[in-house]
Amino acid sequence: MNRLRIVLSIFFVLFAAGMSAQTVKGVISDAKGPLPGASVVLSGTTTGASTGIDGSYELKVKPGKNVIDVTFVGYTKQSKEFTVGVGETVTLNVTLKEDAIFLDDVVVVGYGVQRKREVTGSIAKIESKAITSMPTPSFEAALQGQAAGVQVSQGSGVAGAGSLIRVRGVASVSAGGDPLYVVDGIPITQDYFLRGNSGALNNNPLATINPNDIESVEILKDAAATGIYGSRGANGVILITTKRGTQGTQYDFSSRFGISTPASLPNMLTTDEYLTLRQEAWENDGGTGYVWLPNFSSASDDAETRELAFKKAQKTNTNWVDETIGVGFKQAYNFGVRKGGKKYALYAGISYDDNSSFLQGNSYERISGRLNFDYTVNKYLKVLFSTSASRGLNHRVDVAWSGGLGDAMSTALPYYPIQYEEDELDADGNVVHEAGEYFLFSGKNPVAVQNLKKWRNTEDRSINNLSALITPIKNLTIKLSGGFDYMHLREDVYNPGALSQSSDLGSTNRYANYVLNWNYSGTANYLWDLGEDHKFNFLIGSEFQRSDSYGYGLFFQDVTGPIYEVDSLRENLDAALRTANNPSQWSFLSYFGRVNYTLKNKYVFQGTARVDGSSRFGRNNRYGFFPSLSAGWIISEENFMKGIERINFMKLRASYGITGNAAIPDYARFGTFSQVDNGILYNQQPITFPLQLANPDLRWETSRTFDMALEMGMFNDRVSFELSYYHKMSRDVLLNVNVPPSTGFTNYWDNVAQILNRGVEFAVKTRNIVGKFNWTTDFNIARNYNELVDIGNYTPDAVSGGTNDSRVIVGKPVGSFYLVEFSHVDPDNGLPVYIDLEGNETYDYDNAIRKYVGDGLPDAVGGITNTFSWKNWDLTALMTYSIGAKIFDSSSKRQLGVVTDWNMRTEVLDRWRQPGDVSTFPMLTLDETTYGLPSGFPWWNTSLFVYDASYIRLRNLSLGYNIPNVKIKNFKFSSFRVVFNVTNLFTLTNFPGLDPEVVRDFENAQDRNLSPNVTYLTPPQERSYNLSINFSF
Amino acid sequence: MKINHLIISLTAVVTMTSCDKLLEFEPGDVVIAADALQTADDAQRMLNSNYDVLGNLYDGRVQNVGELLTENLAIPENNNDFVSVWNRETNFFTSFTNGVYTDFYRAVYRGNALLDNFDLIEDLSSSEKTRMEAEVRFIRALCHFQVVKLWAQPYNYTADNSHLGIPIRRVASQEPLPRSTVKEVYDFIIEDLEFARANLPLSNGVYANKHAASALLAQVYFQMSDYTTSVSYANEVIGSNAFTLDTDLDRYEQDAINSETIFGIVSNILDIRSEGFRDNYRSDNNANPTLTFSGSVVTTMQQTPSDARNDWFSSDGAFHKVTRFNNKEYYNIPVIHLTGLLMIRAEALGHLNQDLDIAIDDINSIRDRAFGEGLFDVDPSASGADVVEFARLELWKETLCEGTWIDQLKRRGTQGEAITVRNAPWDCPGMALQFPNGETSAAGFILNEEGGCN
Repeated sequence: MNRLRIVLSIFFVLFAAGMSAQTVKGVISDAKGPLPGASVVLSGTTTGASTGIDGSYELKVKPGKNVIDVTFVGYTKQSKEFTVGVGETVTLNVTLKEDAIFLDDVVVVGYGVQRKREVTGSIAKIESKAITSMPTPSFEAALQGQAAGVQVSQGSGVAGAGSLIRVRGVASVSAGGDPLYVVDGIPITQDYFLRGNSGALNNNPLATINPNDIESVEILKDAAATGIYGSRGANGVILITTKRGTQGTQYDFSSRFGISTPASLPNMLTTDEYLTLRQEAWENDGGTGYVWLPNFSSASDDAETRELAFKKAQKTNTNWVDETIGVGFKQAYNFGVRKGGKKYALYAGISYDDNSSFLQGNSYERISGRLNFDYTVNKYLKVLFSTSASRGLNHRVDVAWSGGLGDAMSTALPYYPIQYEEDELDADGNVVHEAGEYFLFSGKNPVAVQNLKKWRNTEDRSINNLSALITPIKNLTIKLSGGFDYMHLREDVYNPGALSQSSDLGSTNRYANYVLNWNYSGTANYLWDLGEDHKFNFLIGSEFQRSDSYGYGLFFQDVTGPIYEVDSLRENLDAALRTANNPSQWSFLSYFGRVNYTLKNKYVFQGTARVDGSSRFGRNNRYGFFPSLSAGWIISEENFMKGIERINFMKLRASYGITGNAAIPDYARFGTFSQVDNGILYNQQPITFPLQLANPDLRWETSRTFDMALEMGMFNDRVSFELSYYHKMSRDVLLNVNVPPSTGFTNYWDNVAQILNRGVEFAVKTRNIVGKFNWTTDFNIARNYNELVDIGNYTPDAVSGGTNDSRVIVGKPVGSFYLVEFSHVDPDNGLPVYIDLEGNETYDYDNAIRKYVGDGLPDAVGGITNTFSWKNWDLTALMTYSIGAKIFDSSSKRQLGVVTDWNMRTEVLDRWRQPGDVSTFPMLTLDETTYGLPSGFPWWNTSLFVYDASYIRLRNLSLGYNIPNVKIKNFKFSSFRVVFNVTNLFTLTNFPGLDPEVVRDFENAQDRNLSPNVTYLTPPQERSYNLSINFSF
Repeated sequence: MKINHLIISLTAVVTMTSCDKLLEFEPGDVVIAADALQTADDAQRMLNSNYDVLGNLYDGRVQNVGELLTENLAIPENNNDFVSVWNRETNFFTSFTNGVYTDFYRAVYRGNALLDNFDLIEDLSSSEKTRMEAEVRFIRALCHFQVVKLWAQPYNYTADNSHLGIPIRRVASQEPLPRSTVKEVYDFIIEDLEFARANLPLSNGVYANKHAASALLAQVYFQMSDYTTSVSYANEVIGSNAFTLDTDLDRYEQDAINSETIFGIVSNILDIRSEGFRDNYRSDNNANPTLTFSGSVVTTMQQTPSDARNDWFSSDGAFHKVTRFNNKEYYNIPVIHLTGLLMIRAEALGHLNQDLDIAIDDINSIRDRAFGEGLFDVDPSASGADVVEFARLELWKETLCEGTWIDQLKRRGTQGEAITVRNAPWDCPGMALQFPNGETSAAGFILNEEGGCN
């Protein structure tokens, strides 16, 4: 927190700095209109400003003759001279011309930047505006629909929930399939399983990153782009670049207020409906009299007892969904400053974000600060320093299988009261439960749990980087960098005794993890121009990264609250029962190089090579070599294209390369035994036992990717598009295979599988109408074909996605649903009919007839953004879509299957009741064997619950107004903008469940790879309504 | 100069970090396999861990699997997996049976890993090595025997026993293996037990000794309906007089190993291995125990009201709670005991129609304890068939809850008796448990047929 104070102090010092009476103002534009973000600097000084969203700027100047320099990347610098009298305001509008060379932006490519026109790899760049334009639980969710081939699925509406990002499909099975996240050059800690899936939520390592600090996000997709990250690039790389200081001074403030509601609601049965259906099931099974009711009566009770229980149940109708859902309030405040002079540049920002979800008691608070400071010592040395500190406070509630709304959708039956309405007596007349006491079923009750249980995750994160840029000779830049990423996650849970009815006092636990992640790199970059026609750029470097993860637990019994609330506990942590884990450690040692060669400004070649060593592999397979080659041909530079005015830019590029993946547990290769002093005795004698099978030959998972693309700009960039094709074959894919238990083990790591990802991506930007009224459309679509090509001698059951019935099936996508195929309900008898492996109909549910019945991978995903602007108004609509994926609605097997102690959904009303009925669901029953299931096995895993999950949703609709010339007394704002936006306003889908966009909690990386689009009581997405105010000065 | 600068700078950058040691991390809270078995102490600890696994298995889990397949128990309460076994409808997701199967092979792996690493252990005398190998092979045989009885159709189900048995694990390996035939499995078990019998000491504390191997051989041959061989091994153990019948009926004793225990699991206050067994049955603190006796048990038992073993249950209408394990904090669990051995010897002699006096004495020794000395003795002129019938009845009563009765039913089925269990023939498919899902993770493993018993 001290650091925050320093940052704050800096703000206010800077804020107080000079204002004078003369002003120059105006609008900077190009041929297409106003240019936001252009730099306007008083020549020879450090005084300057960036243009606002409307291209406007304003500078305080001294009276007399002045010169301003106007610059913007991709445009030719312009200087304008003007004279201003004392107290006068001069208006100076400047129109910049595009630089012939800088046709487009620069992009960050990993250990450097490149001009976009010369990039030979596949890179999607997303600007900060797109990231901050809508409130999301964390920044990566805002990438949805923004880049072709980047599939982003927002987890759910739970505060702090992460997203699932897949770059060009999934190429891993048991090893992590997420892209590598790199913040300002540091591959950050990105472990989603520090706390497993505690409370049905994985921790989100990206949640503490402040979106407002982000300048741009580059997504590297093909081998030419990711090759420089070699061993870790197989699933794509996401480069996050934070804001840095610019010439001049600019202060930005933004705030947002909003509310959160569920985008959809579960349709659970009322008491009357549930009792009616349960009674019907009982009678279908041959029962007479009233049906027995969970927690009110039992199957062995006599008829009279059952009747009494039934009639008692009829008196209560609790809508548990309403009891767990509400309206969440959101607020956010961001303040940033960018300042720069000849010697230094500074960006500092602080932010507070309180993001409540629609789940009662659930919110994610984030407070963060960042300071990026660049200092040019002399012409040989420049120092760059970045630091950020953030704290995320996740006020947790149980969700999904863990409780809360999940209970409301399952075991919280509508006839259960929230509290006893009157004293409950036993046979002897003793009070067993007092009126007002919570009604508990299996120790649960979502309202009681939410009111009594206290639960908070605290995540402290600091990402730091210090670099020295040394330029010993012209064109040679040496960069030495050291980075440190610190993460400390504490999960505090207080379980009140009242929930177990054992005591007034409760127990509290703290489960904590901290991860220390060091990164050192050194690169040397040399530009070598052999005349105008031959330009070389050489980069070589090495990098070392090490990460140590620690875990500990603290446990207190008989206490009144969690550690964070009870001072006496906090002060006496030593008194806690304590567990501590040895650190889990990994390291990478890497050497890499890149050569870029540009011939005659139109032929571009790039070669990259990286050698990576990983501690996760034994000496025999420790180092992997990951080369890539790519080339680009800027056809529009050719003479034969000069006459074709409709085409202003055209580039063809192709690449081939090898990338890898080593995201497996740190010690997977080791055969291990228990410690000697493990504390386990038999016959009071110590024991030693094996824990894990060794695989000393474990090696890198590698992907060979071919990529080809055409980039075009037409009609002076009124239409620009990019069309790509890629073919990625991943080999030696790492599997944590289920070995036969007769080996004495259940799992074993091995390089087994081959996976193919092949696809086409198309992104187009059109400026449909240009002028006073502007209309721009961004459209992208990506089609990915995913196939598990080989899995050796293993069967689909060799690897499974947690409890999700997703498997590995040769010839099918990774993570296919492997279930018994449901055919129809027999109209004659109401029984479910299945299809066996030979295609014959059968009443027998048999695990041996499970088969591929669909998968969660979409045929196509993408986004459409339409932006309209007129005068000071603008309207942006982002629609995202997914076509062809299936959802396995796994909890339906209980909500729409055998009648059990779960509440059911209203769809089940369409059930068979009498011969001749054609219905979706079979006759109701309390006995799973009616459906052909083995007794004691109510898990009706059939394709009946596999649904089409295609959707298109209005992800974000925002209406903005730039208020011109806002002045408060003498204080004038350079921009002032008000935005109203709605997220997830509507969704078009055939999916009958809660939400077609779903990422449930996962057990591990393998589950995360295999089980996209499986839902299990997963809460819906949120719909939020927000008002934002942003201004700069 | 430029080029020199360049080369020096680049070299400095590239060599900034170059050391393979930076990539060496070993897990901290475990022992690397290569270092785990180096001394005689390591070996003894590893061997002790085999018994530890058996302790977890015989803490009611193995017994419950077997007992649920008989008609001794009412349908279990509140336990879906128990119901699956009771209904003879296990599938490869039935985690209860999968866990038992896995643990048996876990013990097998540990033993095999020890045998495979003997050469690395420097301070192990050859006699110690032989003793350890004999213990390992005893446990390996016991595990294979239990698994083959439960997961395959019984010996003599086919004339040449070429029907599918279970995977035989002779060495520690992660390689998937197919199922061997039942004949191959029994041959393997006998080979191991013969080695154990030849090399185990007569006395070995709570661990396996020569008598345990001989007694298990008697059981194995009895299961094969090879009565002559079974009797010879049983004679060896019984004739050694190393074991005696206790005067009271309770062989599940706290802090003492019952005198009839030939091989068993030990508990003590710091390491209780009997809660799992006790808690599914106990009714002293639980109004609704998971496991209760069926009506047929009570009906049969009550035909002899003076039988002290009637105290092992208490009936409340149709609800027959087991009281045998009530009020016990913990207890030692006999796995192979003299009572069982006496009764299979008696039955075997009955089948052979020889030494019937010995068989009748065996039966009477059990009856004397249950009914009182001489109060319910077998008529000395009883026929071989009578002896068989009496021996079976006593074995059934004595081993209620012990999970071994199903083995006898299946064996009798192979001998042509029309055995049914709750209306299901002894050889209906579901009487053999389904293998765990993981067993099919490699192609080629043949699962059992499921269901077909109801």
